[in-house]
Amino acid sequence: MSHTTVVTAAKEPSLWGGGRSPYNVSYGKMMIWFFLLSDALTFGALLISYGTTRFFSSVWPDANEVFKSFPFMGHSNLPLLFVSLMTFILIMSSVTMVLAVHAGHYGDKKNVAKWLQWTIVGGICFLACQAWEWTHLHGECGGLWGTFTDVNTPVEEFRHFFGGKSLAYVDAHPLVAMQSTHNFFNYFFTITGFHGGHVTSGVIFNILILVNTVNGVYERRGHYEMIEKIGLYWHFVDLVWVFVFTCFYLL
Amino acid sequence: MSAHQTESVQSLYEGDQSKLYSGVLAHHGDVNSTESKSQVKRIWKIFWILLAITVAEVIVGMFYSHHLNAGVKAFFFLALTILKAGYIVAVFMHLGDEFKNFMATVLIPLVLFVWFIIAFLADGGFWLRMNDESPARNTIQHVAK
Repeated sequence: MSHTTVVTAAKEPSLWGGGRSPYNVSYGKMMIWFFLLSDALTFGALLISYGTTRFFSSVWPDANEVFKSFPFMGHSNLPLLFVSLMTFILIMSSVTMVLAVHAGHYGDKKNVAKWLQWTIVGGICFLACQAWEWTHLHGECGGLWGTFTDVNTPVEEFRHFFGGKSLAYVDAHPLVAMQSTHNFFNYFFTITGFHGGHVTSGVIFNILILVNTVNGVYERRGHYEMIEKIGLYWHFVDLVWVFVFTCFYLL
Repeated sequence: MSAHQTESVQSLYEGDQSKLYSGVLAHHGDVNSTESKSQVKRIWKIFWILLAITVAEVIVGMFYSHHLNAGVKAFFFLALTILKAGYIVAVFMHLGDEFKNFMATVLIPLVLFVWFIIAFLADGGFWLRMNDESPARNTIQHVAK
């Protein structure tokens, strides 16, 4: 390409004529958005199949009964409290991430590293909570996936997952209730597991960019766009949790 | 724009494109500037909004979920969920600060979910009714017992 053509092209700027991004977004950032879009469709498909199964079930476990335990509190009835703590941790880690991105915009290396560290701490706390919840439910169900399949299972083993008006139905149709319990936990472990996998990889990415930040990789590069890109992924993971929280614990 | 500057922009296109859009050409601002501080203030404001919405959801979920009509409950929780998602995407993910056309490029494909949800949930509801009315269901239960 000759020098003259370059100058001519710059003198006649055309938005879609090539040589610039009409969206004013770099290639990498645009592609992470498109990746998140496709990931949203995957999570959406999982949650919608959960909803479909729930809609064709006559009875469904009650979140206030299934999720009423809290670590070290024995058998006390504390519905939704533990998952609220998990939600709080994830929202908090989203705030620390956006503060790291903000510090990156201003080239403030020290604060990028500080807020990334807190984000990693938040992510690990969330994963620890999830590990506790899975362990607890593993004990309640006698496994993770594929539990409640034996037709001879006594109704007492799953009756306590239901509440209110549905108990009469559970007693009248124990097999229908058992099938719902089976479906509920299969979806629960699949969807929260897929989400937990995203959190895990997010923590790994955060550790990698923290190491790079501390080593001055982004300072030498002149910008902290990588923090923005990983930040987008991290916020997306928080976003998915907002929907998982509603679908599994509230509705 | 002088020819010299144009040249440096061109070399950036051929190398690390992200430099073009990350403000590196305009130099980093001062992190202690009023602009920076007001941005941080906005982030914390959104945090408090998200926290308040979550607390409201949990209170309703804990104490009122058995008393509310299923449709009202679903509408309440879904509306608040979408509000929370909107704040996260617009402020934390900075999509609100991008060009409108880029926002549309990202958000329009998600409209598919409207059809997706209606179609699948309606199908689930249809199967429930069909199962309930089907004499075969009782036979299967009888054999299983």
